[in-house]
Amino acid sequence: MNVVQATLSGALIGGLYALMAIGLSVTWGVLRVINLAHFGLILIGAYLTFQLATSWGIDPLLTLVVTVPAMFVAGAVLQWIFDRLALTEFNSLLVSFGLLIITIQVASNVWSADFQRMDATVNPYATESVSIGRLVFPVTTLLAFVLAGLVVLGVHLVLRRTFAGRALRAIAQDRAVAGAFGVDHRRLSLLLGGAVGATAALAGAVFSLSNALTPETAYEWFGIVFAVVILGGIGEVVGTFAAGVLVGVLSGVVSVVWSPATAPFVLFSAIILALLLRPRGLFAMGAVR
Amino acid sequence: MRIRTLTALAAAVVLTVAAAGCNRGSDSDSASGKGGGPPIVVGSTLSLTGAFAATGQIHKLAGEEYVDRLNAAGGLLGRKVEWKVLDDQSDQAKVAQLYERLITQDKVDLLIGPYATPNILSAMAVAQRHGYVLPQHTAVLAPQLTYDCQFPAWSIGPTPNKFIPDQLFDALDSLPTPPKKIAVVTSQSGSAAFVTDGFGDDKTGVLTIAKDRGLDVVANVHYPPTTTDWAPIATQVRDADPDLIISNGLGVDAVNLVQAMKQLNYTPKKMFALFPAPGPLLALGAPADGILSVSMFEPNKPILDKLGAKATEITTDFTKRAKEAKLPYTTFETQAAASWNAWDILAAGVTESGGTDQRKMCASLHDKGADTTFSGHLKFDPKDHNFWPTTQTLKQIQDGDWVTVWPKNKAAAPLK
Repeated sequence: MNVVQATLSGALIGGLYALMAIGLSVTWGVLRVINLAHFGLILIGAYLTFQLATSWGIDPLLTLVVTVPAMFVAGAVLQWIFDRLALTEFNSLLVSFGLLIITIQVASNVWSADFQRMDATVNPYATESVSIGRLVFPVTTLLAFVLAGLVVLGVHLVLRRTFAGRALRAIAQDRAVAGAFGVDHRRLSLLLGGAVGATAALAGAVFSLSNALTPETAYEWFGIVFAVVILGGIGEVVGTFAAGVLVGVLSGVVSVVWSPATAPFVLFSAIILALLLRPRGLFAMGAVR
Repeated sequence: MRIRTLTALAAAVVLTVAAAGCNRGSDSDSASGKGGGPPIVVGSTLSLTGAFAATGQIHKLAGEEYVDRLNAAGGLLGRKVEWKVLDDQSDQAKVAQLYERLITQDKVDLLIGPYATPNILSAMAVAQRHGYVLPQHTAVLAPQLTYDCQFPAWSIGPTPNKFIPDQLFDALDSLPTPPKKIAVVTSQSGSAAFVTDGFGDDKTGVLTIAKDRGLDVVANVHYPPTTTDWAPIATQVRDADPDLIISNGLGVDAVNLVQAMKQLNYTPKKMFALFPAPGPLLALGAPADGILSVSMFEPNKPILDKLGAKATEITTDFTKRAKEAKLPYTTFETQAAASWNAWDILAAGVTESGGTDQRKMCASLHDKGADTTFSGHLKFDPKDHNFWPTTQTLKQIQDGDWVTVWPKNKAAAPLK
C-alpha cells in the first residue's frame, strides 16, 4: 500500500512540476530564451495569491481572476524586454538569472524573508483530500495535476491546430523564413510570453496552497523543474507533462522504498542515464521546433 | 630650538591621545569613564537576506531594542553603544570575510555572533584567531564549539543529543498513557541530525535513547533539507502508525509533515517538532494542536509575572517593533530571548571586566558569569565549552498558542 500511495502521490505532484516547467520549456523551445525569470514569475504569482487571499479573505482559487491577467501582462513585458535586448540563447540565461535575483530581492522587501503561509481559515485546501479506500488524493496536488493536464492540452491544441500555433512552430524552426512568410514574430512572442506568465500564475497559486513561501523558495525549484524540461524534451509540452509525472513517481517510490535522502541521487542518476540514451529528451518527438 | 621641542612634545601628546582613542581593544575606555568618550562599537553579521533571514530579522529587532534600552540607561561604562550589523546573506563564507573586516578594517571594540549554527562556526574561527570574545545566540552543537571565549546564549547543556530526548521522554512518561511506538523523521542538517544520531563517535541520540527506554522505533526516516514532496514521508509514518512522531527538523519541516499527514487523513497521536518556525505551525490551526517543541522562553503570563515588569516591557516593545517591521510572527519567544541573552553576556563581560580588553572580558565571564534577564545568572565552564546548565523547557500548542508545559515547576499549563 505504501508503494501504491507513493506512486499516486508522486504522479499528482508531478503535475505541479509539469505546471512549473511548461512555460520554461515552451519559451526555450520556441523563442530560444532560457528564461530563469520564469521562476520569479511563479514566485510572484504565489505571493499574490497569498496576499489577496489573506488581505481580502477571499478563496485562494478565486485570486486567479486577478493573478492570471496580471502575470500575463508581466510575462508579456518580460518577453518584450528579451526581444528588445535581442539576446542569444546563452545570454538569455545570464540576463534572466539577474532578473530572477532582482525579483527575489523585491519579494524579500515586500513580503519579508520570513515564512508566509495562508492560514487554515482562508485556505481550506491545504489539508483536504479525496479518498478511495486507503488511497488518498490530496486536493492541492490533484488540482495541480488537473490544471497541468488542461494547460498541456490547451497549449498542444493551440500549437497544432491554430494559425498562431503553426506560426510559432515556424518561428521555432526558422525565424527569418517565418518572417518572410508574414509571421509577425514580435507580436506572437509577446502573446506567448503572456501565456507563459499566465501558467506561472497557475503554478504559483497551486504551490501557495500547500507550502509556506519564502523568497528563496524559487531556488529550490531549479533542479527538479530543469530535470522535467530536459527529460520531457525542450519545447515538447506533452513530453513535459509525462516527464513531470515520471519524476514525481520515481522520487515518491524511491523515498518510500529506500529513503527520501536517496531520492535525489536515484532520480538524477536515472535522468543522466535517460539523456545518454535519448539526448533530446526521453519524450521528445520533434517538439515544436 | 625650544619652540621646536615644545611643538614636538605637543605633537607627541596629541598623537598619544589620538592613539588611545583608536585603541579599542584596551582598557582605555575605563579611563574615559562616565564622562562619555567615543562610542563602544559592537560588530556582527546577521542573515538579513537568504535562507536564514526569517530568524535573522528577529535577532536584528531584538538587538536594536537591546541597544536602544542600553543607551537610554547610559550605555556601557558611560559610553554610548553603536551596533554595526552587516548582512551575511546566510552564506557562511561571507560570514568569515565580514567578521575579518569588522575586526581588521572597522576595528570594532566588541563582537556578537551571527545567526544559525554554520554561520556561528565561521564567525567563531575568526574571533578565535583574533582573540575576540564571541557571545553567540543559538548554536547548541556543543562538541563543535571548542573556542574558550565563545559564550552560548542558548544552552541545552553540554550534551543536547542526550538532554532533548531524555527531557521529552520524561515528560511523556508523566502522561497516563506514555508512547510505546515512535517514528523518527530527521532532516539531514547539522543540529537536527545531531539530536537523532549523535555526533562523531558519540552515537547517543533519539534512536539509542529510545532503545534504552524500551521504545519501539517503527519508522526512521532521514530526508534532505531541500525536500519539497512530503507525501512519501507522511505515507511511511501513517502506515507505521506510531504513538509519537519525533520530527527533528527545522523551519517549516514540521508544518509540511503535519499537512501531508492531514492530506492522508492521518492525525498523529502525539508529535514533537525540534526547531520549528513558531508562527507557521500556529497558522495550521487544529491539526497542529498538541504539538510539542523545545523552548527557552515563552511570554506566558505566569512566566512573565515571575520575571517581573522589565521582562514584560521588553516583550511588549519587541512585539510593537515586530509589527512595525511587518514580521508575520511578532511574539518575543525563544529566538529573541537567546538574542537578549547574548547581549546581556556581552554587557556583563564589559562591565565586570571594566573595559573592552578581550582577554579580561573572557576571564571575567569565566570567573563571574553573567546576569541575564530571561535565563537568570549564567556560569560558564570551559570544560563544557561554556554550555551552562540548561534552562530549556518544553512548550506545547494549546488552544492556538504556545504554552510552556514542562518541567512542572516552570509550566504555565499542564502537559496534555
